[in-house]
Amino acid sequence: MPSDLSIVLLTLKVSGAAMLVVVPAGLGLAWLLVRRRVPGRFWIEVLVSLPLALTPVVIGFALLSLLGRNSPVGRLAFDVLGRDIAFTWVAAAIASAVVAFPLSVRAFIVAFATVDRRVEIAARTLGAGPWRVFFTITLPLAYPGILAGVLLGFARALSEFGATIVVAGNIPGQTQTLSLAIFTRISAGNDSAAFGLIGVTVALAAASIAVHNYLLARATSLVRDRAAGSRR
Amino acid sequence: MTSAPVLSFDLHARIEGFTLDCAAQAFPGVTALFGPSGSGKTTTLDCIAGIFRPDRGTIVLNGRTLFSSAERVHVSPERRRIGYVFQDGALFPHMTVSANIRYGLELAPGSRRRIDVDEVIRLLRLEPLLARPARQLSGGEQQRVALARALAASPEVLLLDEPMASLDAGLRGIVVAYLRRIRRDLGIPMLYVSHSITETLALADRALLMQGGRISAFDRPSRLLLERTAGFWHESGALENLLEGEVLDAGSTGAGRVGVGSATLFAPVGGRQKGERVMVSIGASEIILAIRRPEGLSARNVLAATLKNLDMDAGRAYAAVDIGTPLIAELTESAVADLKLVAGQQVFLVFKSSSVAVLDADVA
Repeated sequence: MPSDLSIVLLTLKVSGAAMLVVVPAGLGLAWLLVRRRVPGRFWIEVLVSLPLALTPVVIGFALLSLLGRNSPVGRLAFDVLGRDIAFTWVAAAIASAVVAFPLSVRAFIVAFATVDRRVEIAARTLGAGPWRVFFTITLPLAYPGILAGVLLGFARALSEFGATIVVAGNIPGQTQTLSLAIFTRISAGNDSAAFGLIGVTVALAAASIAVHNYLLARATSLVRDRAAGSRR
Repeated sequence: MTSAPVLSFDLHARIEGFTLDCAAQAFPGVTALFGPSGSGKTTTLDCIAGIFRPDRGTIVLNGRTLFSSAERVHVSPERRRIGYVFQDGALFPHMTVSANIRYGLELAPGSRRRIDVDEVIRLLRLEPLLARPARQLSGGEQQRVALARALAASPEVLLLDEPMASLDAGLRGIVVAYLRRIRRDLGIPMLYVSHSITETLALADRALLMQGGRISAFDRPSRLLLERTAGFWHESGALENLLEGEVLDAGSTGAGRVGVGSATLFAPVGGRQKGERVMVSIGASEIILAIRRPEGLSARNVLAATLKNLDMDAGRAYAAVDIGTPLIAELTESAVADLKLVAGQQVFLVFKSSSVAVLDADVA
């Protein structure tokens, strides 16, 4: 049985890797949806939010079908990497990313929508190209909301269970994250061994949500300040 | 009027049932784009700045084609070298005043920097604000910073979209004074959007009249505004005449006289000295019109004037009069009928000296 510490570290690795994909992709998609006229925007938003409403087991099954060696994607990965993705920590990270993505993207959309378009346009007329405007104006102004979205997604990735167990299995030391390990120990009637992990899980979740709520409160008060400033 | 145009544009666009179809030129100095709200003024500025892309047309700035539908040219806003001051300032709220002003300056290559930023900061009296976060500024301060920020990028032309719309009357006078300084000292051509007659009269060298997406006239502001029935003066809200003048004499009680063009006004000049440049503001509804020279009044100002034009709207009447300088007086339609007022006749203007607000032209 792997140590509690190695389980926590594996969980952080899986969730961290998931967020490395979720954050840039989510920021890009949210920006496009808020600032550009994207054809089929309505259905893209439905598709992005679908994992929120779907049972994670179905997401796991869909990912398994996609990543298994019988699918073109899985086949390609096997040919290139020389090994399977399914039932590895990478599969667990992909499962976490898919369920965390909608939560982060929805927060990013709200964060970008609070940025005054005229302020961005002012930067353009002062000689800044679109990328410079994004990094010097949009991102700093949307930052509290974006960080809140990152934390919300991270908290969701930490607690991922259903999709992970289907596509990555429950392999101790390889794909057995916190929630899977807790499930395994409770199933075996070993409640006392589960308590430590449960404590870590609760602490991580509480910390993420607390920081998230703090940032969100700050973001809304910033928006209020800005509105008050323009009224004066 | 004879100098070459800085900016020429010919714009055609359909936006949700509205048709923009206008062509005009802007010359050195201040060109006002004047018209009722919804006439397409802001859309015209957005096209020129490259924020909105018209369906057809051309935009040429100092010989440089910025937009040409025929040649498939559409220069992006950051390459146009056009400054834009928005109605609400649109400052970067997460930066200090100083960082706001430097933003465009640092993006302009050294060879293109024609504006001395320190001079702009001095002209607009921004030194005490430089370290302040932009989100803590008042409305008038925000507009001054927005103006400095746009100027610091050394634009070839400055677009101003009703920069005073959100300011109260006292602040408007001050910002007008700052804009007149910029016009005098920096020589950057400005295209100034306004639906305020008084602002246009106070600032512009030339005015374009815009109605229903078309530019219908181009002339000296006083002629354009005094001699054409515009039909939308009521939109300006409380009309205020803003005039530039000079203190002629000042008594110990603060009462004194201000020369405005060839006219002399009794006004509370406060502690100002003889010879000081000032802006005076007179509410249009404070002015009484008489058809004969009235006598035995306590009101100190009685001025002979020519009635140039009358604009009637919803029971109100706006009389454009000329005292050597154009002025607007607001009265009722029934008064116009009773006095049988007609354009071209001689009238007398009556107002109390306390109706004249004296503002600093060189804000100290």
